[in-house]
Amino acid sequence: MSDRITALLTHRRATLLVVAVLLCLPPFYLDAFWLRIGLFSMAAAIGAVGLALLSGTAGQLSLGHAFFLAVGAYGYTWLAGDPGPGLPTALAVPLAVLMAGLAGGLFSPVAGRVKGIYLGIATLALVFLGHHVLLTAESVTGGFNGRSVPPLSLGGFTFDSDGGLNVLGVPFGAEERLWFLGLALFALTWFTARGLLRSRPGRALAALRDSETAAAVMGVDVARHRSAAFVVSSMYAGLAGVLLALAFRRVVPDYFGLVLSVDYLAMIVIGGLGSVAGATAGAVFVTALPLLMTRYADQLPLVAAPGSADGAVGPTEAARYLYGAAIVLVLLYAPDGLHGLARRARDRLRRRRTPTTAPDTAVPSPPPPAAAARPKEHTP
Amino acid sequence: MTDLLDSLLGGLALGAVYALVALGFVVIFKASGVLNFAHGSLLLFGGYLVAVLHDDLGFAGALALAVVVTAALAGALDRFLLQRGGHDAHSAHVQTIVTIGIDIVLLTELARRIGGDLLTLGDPWGDAVTELGPVTVADSRLAAIAVSAVVITGVFALFRFTSWGLSLRAAAEDMEAAALMGVRLGRVRAGAWCLAGALAALAAVFLAAFPAPGLERTTGQIALNAFPAAILGGLASPTGALAGSLVIGLTEALVVGYQSELHVLGEGFGDVAPYAVMLLVLLVRPNGLFGAKGAARV
Amino acid sequence: MNDRTTRTRAGGTSTTAPPELTVRDVTVRFAGLTALDGVSFTVAPGSVHALIGPNGAGKSTCFNVLSGLCRPDAGAVTLGGTELTRLAPHRIAALGVARTFQNIVTTQGTVADNLMLGRHALTRAGFTASALRLPGARREQREHLARAREIAELTGLGNHFDAPVGLLSYGDRKRVELARALCLEPRVLLLDEPVAGMNAAERARTAEVVAQLRAELGLSVVLVEHDMGLVMRLADEVTVLDFGRPIAHGTPDEVRRDPEVLRAYLGTDATGEDAA
Repeated sequence: MSDRITALLTHRRATLLVVAVLLCLPPFYLDAFWLRIGLFSMAAAIGAVGLALLSGTAGQLSLGHAFFLAVGAYGYTWLAGDPGPGLPTALAVPLAVLMAGLAGGLFSPVAGRVKGIYLGIATLALVFLGHHVLLTAESVTGGFNGRSVPPLSLGGFTFDSDGGLNVLGVPFGAEERLWFLGLALFALTWFTARGLLRSRPGRALAALRDSETAAAVMGVDVARHRSAAFVVSSMYAGLAGVLLALAFRRVVPDYFGLVLSVDYLAMIVIGGLGSVAGATAGAVFVTALPLLMTRYADQLPLVAAPGSADGAVGPTEAARYLYGAAIVLVLLYAPDGLHGLARRARDRLRRRRTPTTAPDTAVPSPPPPAAAARPKEHTP
Repeated sequence: MTDLLDSLLGGLALGAVYALVALGFVVIFKASGVLNFAHGSLLLFGGYLVAVLHDDLGFAGALALAVVVTAALAGALDRFLLQRGGHDAHSAHVQTIVTIGIDIVLLTELARRIGGDLLTLGDPWGDAVTELGPVTVADSRLAAIAVSAVVITGVFALFRFTSWGLSLRAAAEDMEAAALMGVRLGRVRAGAWCLAGALAALAAVFLAAFPAPGLERTTGQIALNAFPAAILGGLASPTGALAGSLVIGLTEALVVGYQSELHVLGEGFGDVAPYAVMLLVLLVRPNGLFGAKGAARV
Repeated sequence: MNDRTTRTRAGGTSTTAPPELTVRDVTVRFAGLTALDGVSFTVAPGSVHALIGPNGAGKSTCFNVLSGLCRPDAGAVTLGGTELTRLAPHRIAALGVARTFQNIVTTQGTVADNLMLGRHALTRAGFTASALRLPGARREQREHLARAREIAELTGLGNHFDAPVGLLSYGDRKRVELARALCLEPRVLLLDEPVAGMNAAERARTAEVVAQLRAELGLSVVLVEHDMGLVMRLADEVTVLDFGRPIAHGTPDEVRRDPEVLRAYLGTDATGEDAA
């Protein structure tokens, strides 16, 4: 039995290694357009994982995600910039994430007590008030025109296009360098979010979603866990905001509107609520779709090139139809989203490979302890 | 003094229009437990229909048709999409998110058609004003107050005196029990959605009328201000929605009226004032001002 | 608190007797309706106390008061020296009061996930430690998972430990609730109709488990059940409620013969009705 577990572990580790190597290749082969899609997707995935923890796992709807993305993005820009304290950029990143967490914590009197879909309306306030502050607090945010974002420097290495860096004969500009930063931050997100989901806090949040009563009588402090889920989700959003700011190199208020919040909700719904992998898949889908459609507009039926005659269906609109419809279809016909589809396909494959074991008898007799011992699959 | 009266009348008119939207929102919630995030785009849909039809049908004809078609669209969305999900509390939550998907599609389509234009609805009031003692009021605002008062009275009569109203209240109390007692939830729900659609289309006319410049693609977002109104009222109470709408309308008008005194809050704070009020109220009373149920519903 | 940690370390086999649970003059009203009216009873340490009565007699409301889901309008509930009526449900759980529900309330995920939820109050790993997968948090999870598996085996769920709860039979899901409550290492266990809807074999098995628990762990059990056979077999004392009022109290034999009970609840020929 222990052999099987070791085999499983090494198998898993090998898969992980292959995936990691594959993810490191694109900067050497793809041009900036594709790298930018990847970069935006990674940032979106980080934010979507945060929202998945809140809305998918804890069952708390939030339409305020754009606000926390903005706190992260503007927080970094202000902390590292001028006007602002002008801190070292490497310090500004974690501080901006903490700022987003703090903002989420300040909202906890509402986030801890208002539950489920009702929180969705309460969080609308954050987006609208936040947008208003971004527009009016000009000395910090730069007002309507926004601010330019100082590039990140880590121990003498700067994530921008200067210095004519060449790696293995490939010139490394900002996109190539940021790709690896995005990858590292995404790996951190993946690692921490899955750790959370499979442990005590994650189980408590899922229990809250399924039955507040059952969770409470099992010892879960309901208000505290709701607030904590909100804070954690805000911090992931803040991290995503920082990465987006670095990728865009400029932050403007209009980007962080209700539409962005709805985009994030679309990501986790399409991906399948409450799973890290699903949120990632949803994030790539929602982020890449409009960019790809813009690039290939001339080759797509029914879609006009951007900027063509009024009233034609542009690529951005076509993308929005598609994922608006995807939300409706996924929720009504495949409630566990892309993640669920993938899992069902995997189960089917597995069943084909291994003969099914006989089902347990209907009236279970108390099993002898030895017979009960099975290799466990889900411990970390 | 005149300024104050001016602001109060403006706030009353705005509150009356919000009440039309918020009432629809509450009716849908009572009947189906769904928060309709597509309400703003339904409103825009109604306004858009009036804008394109009034040249051919005249204002009254266009409005009548727009109200009917928007009602039908809302009813159909519920009957053919949302109701597939079932009637229990969990599916109500799923359906709420489905309405967000519907909103994306509908809003994208309407925004594409409207583009950057300002559409006129051909309403009979134009930019006419009436002198009421010391203040000058736009006729459209007086019409908004009068029409809303009549329509809202009618809706309350529907609740109270018709079998549909009784079924609606029974369903809001306890869906399962209502179904067992023979209430046909599907029909009651679809009826509620139709009513809400009709109210939204009507509200669109007043939101786009003078002194607003016309119907634009962001008009639907203004209608979102009725969300705070409904939340203040506790979501499940039509009377609460009415009171909440007035609070929101008056606050917004007063903030705009006293913009210069409130400049610390920044220019354009009036647009977001409803949300500030909602946050303050939620901090003190998470269930809303009148909320016995509402946010506390399990 | 200290007491609790020692109990945890000892793997749940407490040697000290559970404290006495006292319900005094508890009254609950819902919108003009009196659900509980001056209910008093005492659960002696280590005993099985049954709460019976017709539907709507207030048994579940009484459980909701005991577990903190419902605050009484008057009266008090104390566990040892601690007043429970002012505490939030999760605090009452942390004192070692666990319950099951009449209608099954499990969460999604596997049996193991549900049982580990029962360990929530006994474990410490927070958001940061879990997110960073710190060694302490992982060790804690491992240890408590082992204990959860023991409890699963004790309740006959050992074979289903990693199975999704949604795929289990009705009787098994009912048992998941029992096992989850046991995972709290309770000193007082509240069982709300633990065998309702089960077949005869499942009933016998659950009765056996409850008797065994009481013998091995020495915990107090408060039992709401319509199966009179089970009540008569397991209970040391019985309190009978009717329309929210306590109408009789005593040993099963005394209650069975009480004329008031026969009239209000059991009916004239109901004594042996459910004995199977």
